[in-house]
Amino acid sequence: MTDPSGTALALDAITKTFDGFRALDAAHVSVRRGEVHALLGENGAGKSSLMNVAAGLYAPDSGRILLDGTEVTIDGPLDARTHGIGMVHQHYKLVKPFNAIENILLSDPGERYGAAIDALTARVREVADELGFELDVTKPVGTLSIAEQQRVEILKVLVGGAWILILDEPTAVLTDAEGARLLETVRALAKGGHSVVLVTHKLNEAIDYCDRITVMRGGRTVDTVEAKGISQSDLTTMIVGADVHEQRAPSQSIGAPVLQVAGLRAARGDGHIAVRDANFEVRSGEIYGIAGVGGNGQTELSDALSGLTRSLAGIVTLGGTTDITDASAEERRENGLAAIPADRHSKALSGTLSVADNFAVGGVLRGRFGSWLRVRRRELEQAAGEAVEAFDVQGVRSLKQRAALLSGGNAQKLVIAREFSGSPRLIVAHSPARGLDLRASAAVHERLRSARDAGAGVLLISEDLDEILLLCDRIGVMTRGQIVAEFDAPFDRQSVGEAMIGHG
Amino acid sequence: MADETAGMAGPPKAHGLHRFRPRLEMRQTTSGLRTAAMIAAGLAVGLGLSALILVASGVRPGDLVNEFIVQIFASPKNISAVLVQAAPMIIVGLSASIAFKARFWNIGIEGQMIFGAIGATLVATFDIGPEGLRLPLMALAAALGGIAWIALPAVLKLRLGVNEIISTLLLNYVALNFLLHLLYGPWQDPVSAFPHSEQFEETERLAALGWQSLNASLIVALALTVLVTVALTASRVGYLLNFVHTNATMARAVGVPVVLLTLAAALGSGALSGLAGFTISAGIEYRMTQSFFIGYGFSGILIAFLARNNPIGATIVALFVAVLMVAGQSLQVFYQIPFAMVQLIQAIIVICVAASDFFIRHRVQWLTG
Amino acid sequence: MTDFLINWIANIPGFAVPFALAALGLIITEKSGVLNLGAEGFMLMGAMAGAGAVIVMGGYPLLALVIAAAAAATLALVFATLTIGLRVNQVISGLLMVFLAQGLTSLIATQQGWTNKAFTGLGKLPLGPLKDIPVVGPILFNQDLIVYLTVPIFFIAAYVLTRTHVGLRLRAVGENPEAADAAGVNITLYRLAAVIIGAALVGLAGGYLTVVVAKIWVDGMAGGRGWIAIALVIFARWHPWRALAGALLFGCVEALIPRVAAAGIGVPQYFMLMLPYAVTLGVMVWTSLARSGASSEPSALGQPYVREERH
Repeated sequence: MTDPSGTALALDAITKTFDGFRALDAAHVSVRRGEVHALLGENGAGKSSLMNVAAGLYAPDSGRILLDGTEVTIDGPLDARTHGIGMVHQHYKLVKPFNAIENILLSDPGERYGAAIDALTARVREVADELGFELDVTKPVGTLSIAEQQRVEILKVLVGGAWILILDEPTAVLTDAEGARLLETVRALAKGGHSVVLVTHKLNEAIDYCDRITVMRGGRTVDTVEAKGISQSDLTTMIVGADVHEQRAPSQSIGAPVLQVAGLRAARGDGHIAVRDANFEVRSGEIYGIAGVGGNGQTELSDALSGLTRSLAGIVTLGGTTDITDASAEERRENGLAAIPADRHSKALSGTLSVADNFAVGGVLRGRFGSWLRVRRRELEQAAGEAVEAFDVQGVRSLKQRAALLSGGNAQKLVIAREFSGSPRLIVAHSPARGLDLRASAAVHERLRSARDAGAGVLLISEDLDEILLLCDRIGVMTRGQIVAEFDAPFDRQSVGEAMIGHG
Repeated sequence: MADETAGMAGPPKAHGLHRFRPRLEMRQTTSGLRTAAMIAAGLAVGLGLSALILVASGVRPGDLVNEFIVQIFASPKNISAVLVQAAPMIIVGLSASIAFKARFWNIGIEGQMIFGAIGATLVATFDIGPEGLRLPLMALAAALGGIAWIALPAVLKLRLGVNEIISTLLLNYVALNFLLHLLYGPWQDPVSAFPHSEQFEETERLAALGWQSLNASLIVALALTVLVTVALTASRVGYLLNFVHTNATMARAVGVPVVLLTLAAALGSGALSGLAGFTISAGIEYRMTQSFFIGYGFSGILIAFLARNNPIGATIVALFVAVLMVAGQSLQVFYQIPFAMVQLIQAIIVICVAASDFFIRHRVQWLTG
Repeated sequence: MTDFLINWIANIPGFAVPFALAALGLIITEKSGVLNLGAEGFMLMGAMAGAGAVIVMGGYPLLALVIAAAAAATLALVFATLTIGLRVNQVISGLLMVFLAQGLTSLIATQQGWTNKAFTGLGKLPLGPLKDIPVVGPILFNQDLIVYLTVPIFFIAAYVLTRTHVGLRLRAVGENPEAADAAGVNITLYRLAAVIIGAALVGLAGGYLTVVVAKIWVDGMAGGRGWIAIALVIFARWHPWRALAGALLFGCVEALIPRVAAAGIGVPQYFMLMLPYAVTLGVMVWTSLARSGASSEPSALGQPYVREERH
C-alpha cells in the first residue's frame, strides 16, 4: 500500500453532456485512502453522474481520472473493477432469479463452473462473516429484502477486490436502524484501508459518519470541507445556494371521513400479498400520512386505492357512503378521487404525448372538451396553457412539446395540475416529492396543504419520514402491509421510527 | 452494436494513435426536417436495393423506369388498375392502423378478409334480402364476418392475456382451411366446377364508375378513410387511444377505459378487414376465390407501420403499394419474374425505412480517447 | 388396431423434430432477451436452402441440412442488425423476417427451378438388430439420424444454459442486461450469438421439413410451423424439456392427420387440416389459464438495451 494519507481517487475537471444537457461541468473530487468521503447535493446535482464516470458507466466528454496519482482511462465497468473501483448503485444491478452466488459469479467467473461456485460460496461466506452480514446465499435475490439485496451488492463489490467503494444513496431504502448499522460497517471498512464514497443528500449522515464532505450543485463542485465542526445550515447553504426552510402548518378544521379502508388486502403483480388487512380512514381537511420503510406494501396500497389493481378483500368507502372496493379507476375518479403515484413517468404521464394532452386527459374523460365525436383542441390548449401558468410548470417552450422533456419537478407539477383540476375530495399521493429538489418539493407540499385547506382529504404515502412529519396531521405506520400504529400531532420522531422497525 | 466496444476492457493504447470510441445518445428532440430527410434516405436505399435485385433477376435497367413509371402513369388503363387495386389495400392499411393504435397486433387480417368474403358471398349466393339492399347487406355481412373472426383473439387477450399475435395468425390458417372446405365442397361453382363460388349477379357487384375499370370500391375505401381519420384524429376515442398507444398503464391510472377502447379498436379492425374482403369479391373478382386475400395481411401491416398508424398516411402508402403490385403483375407477364418479388421489395423498403428510424432517434458520436 | 397405433407412434418423432428444434432455437434466442417472431421466416429459409442444396449437389442430405442452418443464420444477421444494432421494434422486425423470407424463398426457388421438384433426401437409419424388437423397435430404433441427434442436442443446450458460465451470462443478459453489463458481459455479443444460433436451429428444423420429411420444396411449406413453435415456447415457459414434450404433443397431432384420412374416418379433410392450429390455440389458452408454477420468461424479453440512455 502507498502512503496511507495519500489520494486514492481523483476526478479532475470532468464534463459530461447528455444530448446537449450538461450533467457535469468541470466537476472534481478527490478521495483519500482510508477515508469515508461524502458526496452531498440535491437530486440532479450530478453526484451519481460523477460517480458513474468513476465506475466506468459513463464515458466523460473531457477531464482526467487519477488513481494513486496516475492518470488512467476507465473503459467500462469491467475496467473499473480491474482498477479496484466498485459501485453499489441506487437501483441494484442484480439478476432477480439468480441467487447471491450466481450474481457474484457473473462478474467473477472462475475456471470451471461447478468448482467456481464452490470456491465463491466459501469466499462470500467468509467476507459476509467478517462484515457481520446475515444472508441466505442460496435464495433467489428477488425474494430477499431490500437490505439483504444491498448486502449482496456490497459483497459483490468487495469479493471483486474493490478498495474504492462507491455507495449511491445506500440508506434511502433502509430503516433508521438498518442505515446506522450499514454506516458502522462502512466506517469499519475505511479503518481497514478501503476508501468509501458515500453519495447522499442526508446532512446528518455526512456529518456523523464521514471524514470529508464534497458538495455538488448543478453539475459543479461547490467545495470540499472537513466534516468535523461543520454545521447543518452551512451545508444547506452550500447545497442549495440559499437557506430553504419549510414550516409545519397543521390543519385548522378536520371534517367527516372521506376515505375508509377496512381489511384491505392487495397483491403485487407476481401474486405476493403485499397489503394484508389494512385499516385506516382519512378525513376531509386533514393530511393522513402513511409512514414506513419502502417495500412494505406502499406501492400496492396506492395502486389498489387508485384502481390500478384489484383488491382481493376488504371494503373501501369514499365520501362516507360510496363503496369503491371493486370500482374501476374511471369510477373512482368520477367519485372525486385523484392520484399522484410515486412512479410518475410510468403511471402518471405519457412521455411521448404533449404537455397539453397530458394535462387535458382528465378533463376530456369528464367530458369537458367536447363530445365523443369531437375534442375541441383550441379550448383544450387554452385550458392547458392556463394550468401551466397557474401551477408554475417551467421549461414548457410549447404546449405541444413532449412531456418527457420536463424535469422531475415540473413533470410533477403538471401531474398535480391535472389531478387537482377536477376539484377532488380525496387525493392519494405516493412520495410526491421523490426526486425533486428542495424548491420543487416545497411547491408540491404547498399544493397538498392548500388542497387540504380547501376541504379535501389527503393520503400521503411516503418512505421519507421527514416529509411525513412535516406535512401530516395524523400518521399511520405501515409494516408488512398493515397499519401497526397511529399517531396524532404533535409527533415524537423516536416513537414513530420505533413503530416502523418494531414489526419489521 | 456500436455502443458495445466501449464496454470491453480496453486494449493497451497504441502509440501515436487516437483510439476512437463510438457513443450513442438518445435524441431528446428531432426536427421535422431531419426526420423527413432520414426517411427519404431510407426509402432511397430501399428502392436502390430493390432495383439491384430486379436487375439481377434479368430486368434491363432501362425497362425499370419504363415499367414502374412510364407504363403506369402514361396509360389510363394502368392508372385505373392501380386505383382498383388500391381500394382493398387502403382498407387493410386502415384496419392495421386502427388495431396498432390500441397496441393490438392484428396479424390475422387475411383470416378476417376470408370471413368477410364468406359473409358477403353467403348473402349473394343465397339471395338474402331485397335486391335493392343486397350490396349494403353484403357489406354488413362482411363486416360482421371480420368482427366474428377477430372477436375470439380480442377476448382471449383482454380476459386471459393470450398473445394476440399468435392467436390471430393461427386463425388465418383455420380460416383458410374453412374457405377451402367451402370452395371444394358446398359452395363450389356448379357451372365451372372450379374451386370458387358462383359468379355474383349484377346487383351484387360494386357499380362501375364509367371510367375504365374503376368501380365503387374506391369510393368505399375513401369513405372509410374519412371515417377512420375522424375517429382517430378528431374524436374522443382517437384522443384516448393515443394514451393507450403510448402508455397503457398511465391511461388506466387516469381513468381511460383501456379494455373497452382496445376491444373497440380490435373489432373495428376486424370489420375493416372483412370489408376489404368484400371489396375484392364484389369489386374485383365478382366471386369468392381461393386465393383472393394473399399478401394483403402482410401489406396492411407494413402500410400501417410506414404510415405510423395515420389513416391519411396509410391511404397514400397503400396507393404506392398498389403501383408496386400492378408493376409486379406486368413484370410477371413480361419477364416471368414471380409475384413474390413484390413482397420482397415491400419487405426490403420497410426494413430500410425502419433502419433509418434509428438515426432519427439516436445520435452517434465518435470520441477520441 | 395395434398396427395403427405402432405406425402412428413411430411417425411421431419425425413430425415432432421440426417443432422441437425450432422451439429450442427460439428458447436460446429469447433467453438473451431478443423476441424472435421471425421463426416462420427462418424455417422457410432453411427449408428452401436445404432443398436447393440437395438438388444442386445431387445428394449429400446431411451437408444440405448444414446449409439449411447456415442460410437461416445468414438471414438472422439482418434480424440481428435490426433488433440489436438499430433497435427496431422487435415485433415488427420479426414480422419483417417472415415477409422477407416468404418473398425471398419463393423468388429464389422459382428462379432456380427448385419448386415442386422431388428429390431423394435423408432416409431412415435403422439401428441394426434393435429395429426388429417388436413394438419398441420401429418406434425408437427405425428413425432418421436427426431424430437420434435431437435428444443429445437438447441435453447439450439444457446443460449449457443451466450449468456453465456462458449459460449464466446468457440468462443474465435476458433477465437484466444492466446488471450483466455492469458485470462486464458483452450484451451485444451474447445477443448476437443467441440470435444466430437460435436461427440456425430453426433453419435446421426447416431443412428437416424438406430434406427429410417432404423431399420436395413447395412455396410457403413451413405452413405455420414456425408460429406453432413460438406458441410452444410460451407453453414450455422457456424450459427446453417442456418444449420437447410439447413438440411431441404436436407430433402426435400431425402424425394423426394422414392416418385418420387413410383409416377412412369421416371427418372432412379441411377440418382435419385445421387441427394443429386449433390445438395450438387451445394450448395457448390452457397455458394462460394455468399460469401457476415457475415461468422463466426472461424479464427483458423484447427490450433493446442501450447503456448511456437517459429518459
